[in-house]
Formats: sequence, C-alpha cells, structure tokens
Amino acid sequence: MTPGGAIIEVENLRKSYATDFWKKRTRVLDDVSFSVGENEVVGFLGANGAGKTTTIKIINRLAFPDSGTVRLFGEDGVARFASRRRIGFMPEQPYFYEYLTGMEFLGLCGRLNGMGGRETRRRAVAMMERVGLAAAGGMAIRKYSKGMMQRLGLAQALLHDPELVVLDEPMSGLDPMGRMDVRAIISELKSAGKTVFFSTHIISDVEALCDRVILLDRGRKLAEGTVAGLVGNEVQFIELVFSSPPGGEAGPDMPPCIRFSRAADDLVVRVRNVDDANLWIAKMGGRGSKLRSMTQVKPKLEEIYVERLSGTAGGEGRDAS
Amino acid sequence: MSSGSPGPPAVRGGMLRRVLSIAANTFRETVRNKILYVILAFALFVIGLTWFLADLSMGELTRIIADVGLTSIHLFGVTIAVFLGITLVSQEVDRKTIYLILSKPVPRWEFVAGKAAGLSSTLLLTTALMAATLFVVHFLYGGKAEPGILIASAGIYLELVLLVCIATLFSTFTTSTLSAMFTLALFLIGHLSTHLVRFGGQSKSAAVRAVSSGLFYLLPNLEVFNLKNGVVHGEARSLEALAGMVGYFACYGGAVLLLACLLFERKDFK
Repeated sequence: MTPGGAIIEVENLRKSYATDFWKKRTRVLDDVSFSVGENEVVGFLGANGAGKTTTIKIINRLAFPDSGTVRLFGEDGVARFASRRRIGFMPEQPYFYEYLTGMEFLGLCGRLNGMGGRETRRRAVAMMERVGLAAAGGMAIRKYSKGMMQRLGLAQALLHDPELVVLDEPMSGLDPMGRMDVRAIISELKSAGKTVFFSTHIISDVEALCDRVILLDRGRKLAEGTVAGLVGNEVQFIELVFSSPPGGEAGPDMPPCIRFSRAADDLVVRVRNVDDANLWIAKMGGRGSKLRSMTQVKPKLEEIYVERLSGTAGGEGRDAS
Repeated sequence: MSSGSPGPPAVRGGMLRRVLSIAANTFRETVRNKILYVILAFALFVIGLTWFLADLSMGELTRIIADVGLTSIHLFGVTIAVFLGITLVSQEVDRKTIYLILSKPVPRWEFVAGKAAGLSSTLLLTTALMAATLFVVHFLYGGKAEPGILIASAGIYLELVLLVCIATLFSTFTTSTLSAMFTLALFLIGHLSTHLVRFGGQSKSAAVRAVSSGLFYLLPNLEVFNLKNGVVHGEARSLEALAGMVGYFACYGGAVLLLACLLFERKDFK
C-alpha cells in the first residue's frame, strides 16, 4: 500500500509490438502492476529494453496497452484528459521545434496546458532560471547542446506546477553538474509535496533519491519496495582494520575470516559476524595490534539488482504470439 | 519548485485555444521553410512571365494571362500543399516532437485539426499572394479589373485545403514518400473522376456502372473547384454552383479529416 493514496495505479499491463508485418509480435510488457503514492519519489529501474519507456508512454497516453489499466489520480489515465493537466512529463532525450527559442517553446507549452499568458511568462522565466537556462531563453533551440535540451525538457515538464512529474531517464546526456542539478530539483519537488516517478538505469540516483524502487526486467516486474527493504537489514560482512602488529605478521591460529589483506601499514580483515569480529579483536589485541575501525557492510542496491537479474537470466524468451 | 498553490494553475481557454496554438506553431514552421520560398518565388516569376507570353502570342491577350496565371497558381499551390502536407504529422512522429504535445491535455483530434489548419493558413497566404500578383499583372495589361481571377483562386485554395486534408490522412499512418505518391495519385484521379463515371455509364454491365458510380462518390472530384474556364471564357458560375462547391469541400474535407483523426486516435508511438 502506498502512503497518502495512489497517484499512479498500473494493473496487469501487457504490451506487444509488431516489429515487422510478417514477424511475430514482441512482448515488451508482461503483466506489470505497481502503484505510486502521493508525495513519493519512485525510481523505475531496469536495463535498456526492460520496458521502462513503454510503460511511461502508456502512462502518458503515447501508447496503448494490449490489456491492463492505468489510473492517474483515480481516473482512467488512458481514456481521460482531465488528469493530464496535473502531470508534467519529460520524455527520454526530448526533441523540440528547433525553429523556436526556449521561451517561445515554453509559451506554446503554457497555452497547451491551459495557462494564461502572464502566468506562463512568469513561470517560464522562473523555470528557465531554475534549470540554468536563464541566459539561453531567447536562443533558437537548434543552437542548444544536448544537455541544454535535457534542461529545457525539465523546464517544460515543471512549467505548469504539476502534482505528478514523470521523467524518462532525466539524467541522460547530462554532465556531472547537470546530474547534481536534476537530483536537487527532484529533492525540491519532494519537499514541495509533489510526486515524482522517474526511470533510470543509474542505481546511485535511485539510492540517493527514491522512497521506493520498482525493478523491471524484460517486461516483467522483478521487485518493488523501499531501497532499505530491498537491500534488507542483513549485514553482508564486517570489515576490521588493525594496525600492523610488532613484527608485521598476524601470526598462526587466527580466527575464521572471509578475507585477509594488507593496506599500507594496516591489516584489513573481513569476517561474517560479530562473534568472529570479537575473536579477531581479542587475538590481535593480544599481539599488540590496535583496532583502527570496524564497519558493518550491507549489500548495495546494485548488488541486489544484479543478483535478481542473474536469477531471471536464461528464463523465458520475450516473444509472444 | 512550487508556486505554493496546492494544484496546477487555473485552466484558461479551451479547445479553440489549443487548436489555434498548434495551428499558429505549424504556420510559423511552414513559413520558415526555405522550400516554400523557392516554390513561391518561382511561381511569382512564372505569373510575371505571362505578360511576356501574352506579347508573343496571338489572340486575346488578357485571356492568355488569366489562363497561364491561374494554371501556375494551381500547380505551384498543389506542389506546396502536397510537399508540406505529407510531412505534416509524420515529421512530428519521426522527430518525436509529438511526445511533448500529446502528453499535455491535448486530444489527438485537436492536434490533427491544428496541423491542417496551420498549413491551410500558410496556403491562404501564398495563394493570396499569387492571386494578387496575377490580378495586378492582368489589370496592368488589360486595363480593367477581373474579379473572376480572385474567385477562381478561391476555388483553387479550397482544392489545396482538400489536398492538405488528404495528405494529412496519409501522413497519419504511412511514410512521407507513400503519402506523396497517394496524394498525387488522388490529385490526378480527382481531376479525371468525372470521366470515370461517364465511361462507366456507357458500360452495358450494371456492376461496372455501379462500381464506377461508387468510385465517383468515394474519390474526390476536384474538377468541382475548377473555375478557371469560367474566367478565361467569360462564363460566370451561378451563386448556387459556388455554394455547391463550398458545400462539397466542407463535406468531403470534413470526412477525410475525421477519418485522419480516427486513425490517429489509437496510434502507438514506438
């Protein structure tokens, strides 16, 4: 259950495309269900071809499911338009009318979103400034770099102050500064009470920003939950760092460990549990070595992701009739 | 990020505002297309050239100016309508600019209607410019104003808008090349469809007569819009005939555009 009521409800979504008239249809989504609650930041994580963009297109009525439903703000998202005013969408690598300037394009977006002229101008100036394009508002879009287009895509998605922001690969094509800016904007949206649903294949972005994450692989949902929930509370190992004992060597009859290595003048030991850690601390202390640090290491989302993907590798093919 | 309001800003205007916004953007796109200016410059050059053609020819000079001039307006207008019309929707899909428009609260039929209206506005401008040029050339040579040139140009304009509707229809589901071929084929058939029903009517087979008659009503009859002969030969059309032409345009153009909207309504963008 999602907190504060569901903003996006996707149920049993199936979608297949005919790549060629004579060929079998390729199934790109297979019974995908999930929901996104109010004021959540949810990451849609999956490799290229997992079906993220297709799902986002269906949510935005750019494609239609073979079966299944999408509800936005409690309404049928495929059939109705009323909810669209409450959504800001940025497609993957957004394309624009290159003969327009950035401000002209935002003007068009404002009119299509039903905003008044004065309101559009005010918001357009504010958004261009927020995404770092204040100086480029009067420049023709054909002169924009890829990163500037990505920023303009974000500006048009936020122009009408939507309640739900859907972003398809928002970090794509951005330099490190751009990525930091987008991260900051997503955090600000969260603070302002907005709901954000974004697709990515960059796991560190999900770990840094998301309340929840949905893992998708070859059109199927692999997992859904909070980052902490997916990672779990289980400690992967404990890492102990000792100063080198007099004589340099740890010596014989040492307690069990996963790994033992040297780093500069220190000895680094990885053990499975606290009991083993205590044995090591006692043993090394008896040999004149000091404990410098002890760290509990939990698995990273990336490792969970790879593990889940490996679990499904070699499974069923994607083709369906 | 937020302006502090709990929801989105108040909604201004409605369907008309959205259609006009898309039309205005399409108008801006087409008038910035260099191909348009090349075709238009050539058309105006040919219309200007009718002055010299008339000098070289025997017979009634003002008739020749009107005949060659209106034919030029027609052919260059068709060139502009077809070559801008075939990419009207497909280019938006190919360039993915359509994603940013249709994800907003814009019904798809409004997008199709706005695109067609935008190109029709461009054609209104270019046809008016060519007609005005011909009118002035005719007046300077013949010494009297010929309002029939403007009426015949209006007929040409309606035909061009109908071709835009047909090109838009093809543009919603096929490639630009096929759209161009289909639209040009219908343009040619449209000027021969009266012959089709005449030949069919001469057949002894009832089936052939029925098929030819059915095709006549299915295919566009573009000769309805041909008022050139009336101007050249001084045969004015009755108001009833002109009203029939406008009525045919509204019904056939509306039906084609409706079909385009229906086909576009459930189109998947991959």
